[in-house]
Amino acid sequence: MKRLFALLMFMLFCAPVIAHAELNIFTCEPEWAALAKEIGKDHVSVTSATYGTQDPHHIRARPSLLAAMQKAEMIFCTGAGLEVDWMPILMQQAAGANIQNGMPGYFMASDYIALMDKPPRVDRSMGDIHPNGNSHIQTDPRNILIVAKAFAERVSQLDVANAASYQANLAEFTSRWQANIQKWQARAAKLRDVPVVVYHNNWNYLIRWLGMKQIHTLEVKPGIPPTPSHLQAVLAASKAAGVKLIMLTPFDNSQGSQWLAEQINAKIVLLPFTVGGMEDTDTLEAVFERTLSILEGSI
Amino acid sequence: MTPIFMGMVCMAALLSLSAPAWAHSDASDLQSLKADLVKMQNRINQLEQAQQQQAHQQHVHQQQAQQQQTPSAATNPVTPVSGVQFNDNMFNPSVSAIFNGHFGAFSNKNPAIAGFGTGEEGGRINDGLSLDESELSIASNVDDKFTAQLTAALSGDGIELEEAYVKSLGLPSGLGFKAGRFFQPIGYINDHHTHSDDFADRALPNRIFLNNGYRDDGAMASWILPTETYAEIGGSLLRGADFPVGRIDQSKPGAWVAYGRVGGDIGTNHNWLASLSTLQSRPDERKSNDDNLIFRGDSDLYAASLRYAWSPNGNNAQKEVTMQAEYFLRDEHGTYESVDNATGAIAYNGYQTGWYAQGLYKFHQQWRIGARYSELDPRNTPSELAGTVLDSSGHKPWNAAFMADWTNSEFSRIRLQYGYEEPAANTRDHQVMLQYIMGIGAHRAHAF
Repeated sequence: MKRLFALLMFMLFCAPVIAHAELNIFTCEPEWAALAKEIGKDHVSVTSATYGTQDPHHIRARPSLLAAMQKAEMIFCTGAGLEVDWMPILMQQAAGANIQNGMPGYFMASDYIALMDKPPRVDRSMGDIHPNGNSHIQTDPRNILIVAKAFAERVSQLDVANAASYQANLAEFTSRWQANIQKWQARAAKLRDVPVVVYHNNWNYLIRWLGMKQIHTLEVKPGIPPTPSHLQAVLAASKAAGVKLIMLTPFDNSQGSQWLAEQINAKIVLLPFTVGGMEDTDTLEAVFERTLSILEGSI
Repeated sequence: MTPIFMGMVCMAALLSLSAPAWAHSDASDLQSLKADLVKMQNRINQLEQAQQQQAHQQHVHQQQAQQQQTPSAATNPVTPVSGVQFNDNMFNPSVSAIFNGHFGAFSNKNPAIAGFGTGEEGGRINDGLSLDESELSIASNVDDKFTAQLTAALSGDGIELEEAYVKSLGLPSGLGFKAGRFFQPIGYINDHHTHSDDFADRALPNRIFLNNGYRDDGAMASWILPTETYAEIGGSLLRGADFPVGRIDQSKPGAWVAYGRVGGDIGTNHNWLASLSTLQSRPDERKSNDDNLIFRGDSDLYAASLRYAWSPNGNNAQKEVTMQAEYFLRDEHGTYESVDNATGAIAYNGYQTGWYAQGLYKFHQQWRIGARYSELDPRNTPSELAGTVLDSSGHKPWNAAFMADWTNSEFSRIRLQYGYEEPAANTRDHQVMLQYIMGIGAHRAHAF
């Protein structure tokens, strides 16, 4: 009887520990969920807080995220203020000690990237700007590679037993990704110097990578939707620059873009901002493939 | 500019040096000086040209770098030097201030809610032009184990400490402890700050049963269960000095709270949260209606709440529908005394209920409309209390509110609300409220 009781107790309290072999990773954005899977494969279990069709700036700190955060052994986010609307609440209410700021389980991708457009001064009259710079780093595939390397290093620290596997996956990913970048860059040559208008400063890294030119944003200021007078200014600048493309994410407000497109006879292109942003963009590779083929097809 | 500036400084120095010499100079000296000046002018021109060339080259380099830059792990972030300077005030907590004001117009002059005792904060909002409480909040992590927040409400009447608590940080398995003064997790909206409310005033049951927003001094424990679906349980022990509790003897805790919450997603577009909670209290003197009404005895409040949010593709920044409802039941055993009516302590055994339901539709990034209905049921009043504020003559107070608000950015909101209320039998109140809420300072994240 005693033995049976001991066995039952063991099953109750120890079995979950044994069964739980994967490293629980909470990612803020789907691109990092995909990358964590690339490097972690079967050794990690990944939950993404946002979907490809959601604006990562503004989601609700919904109950299911508290449950996911409670179980997280590592958080993998963009950082740089992108998630300031909802992460602090989740962290404060449900995050364990090993994923607090500064701990090994706290991994912010933007820490490893030289951010673009860091404002020399900040004031809320400038809209909802990010004092640390533009955080939409995942639209440049070269950034993905940098983050992959840093992530593999960190996850190897956290899960030493599987470190060799993480490093092997990184090596495989790196060679594949480098070949991809070469291929994509060759395809993108004709996109160089193409002038574009965007809704929000979501595409700065992509635009820099492809050598395109951003003429204007449809938003008046970050987070503030277009007004008639602002649209007139965008129209004038677009005409002067010969803009033929208006680039939008799946979650951007289409307000103003339709009007501008008619005025200057430009095309509105909806691009997958991240993994799952559109149909058939289930992998990081598919996102860039899709982005390039859409852009190629629209000029 | 530097070479030109240097050149000018050199020239000025030369002139000042040679000035005394001029007094004794002859024509040839002047000639040579002139020649020197011409030389110097040439030199300045050369320097200017060189500088222009340099600037141009730099520009070209930058352009090339931008186009060809291959980011690598070794790339240093391009931050101004000022970003790495150390200042002691880097450790200042995040500070934010909320500015709140409204204009209210009400057709009914007597706002008393029949059948209930109303606490100090539970009344109708001010009429006329009114500056509401300005909230000043500071928050920061204390160290790796604790975080703290202080919120003070500033008004013409003085400063009131709204919240001041310390909370554990990073405890394992979703455990949390909190101590100090804080809003209690009863129902849905009570532990939210009013500046994030969807309406200009709170629903009738929140005003009557919870004094608009019930906060108290004490300690709380909470635990997020290690389940797939979100589930959290917790409770607090409270001092209970004032309404909705009210203790003269504060040597022992006067109230406790227990709550349970569950919530989750349905697909990618729907989220929900449901809760059950209770406030158990033993007021030995709960004063209300300007100290006119006194309750002594056992007062237990039970609350159930449901909240639901829907947005297309989960993208709530552009479009969203939220709905919430709360139901309250207050069970009381003790005595009520109306001082004005000199009733003496009259035995009371019974319960009262109240509920509200609201829906909000965000149809544009900046615009929302909403409607809310709330109702109270005072039920039977002992005959000895007839004619006092507790006697509603069978009337159930109710209110219907409609609002539209405009949110310029996350930090500013202007709201227009119309309400129709029947607070007592044969009493009608048309209510118009125009309100602004603005926040400066640190960005504050909001709970679901």
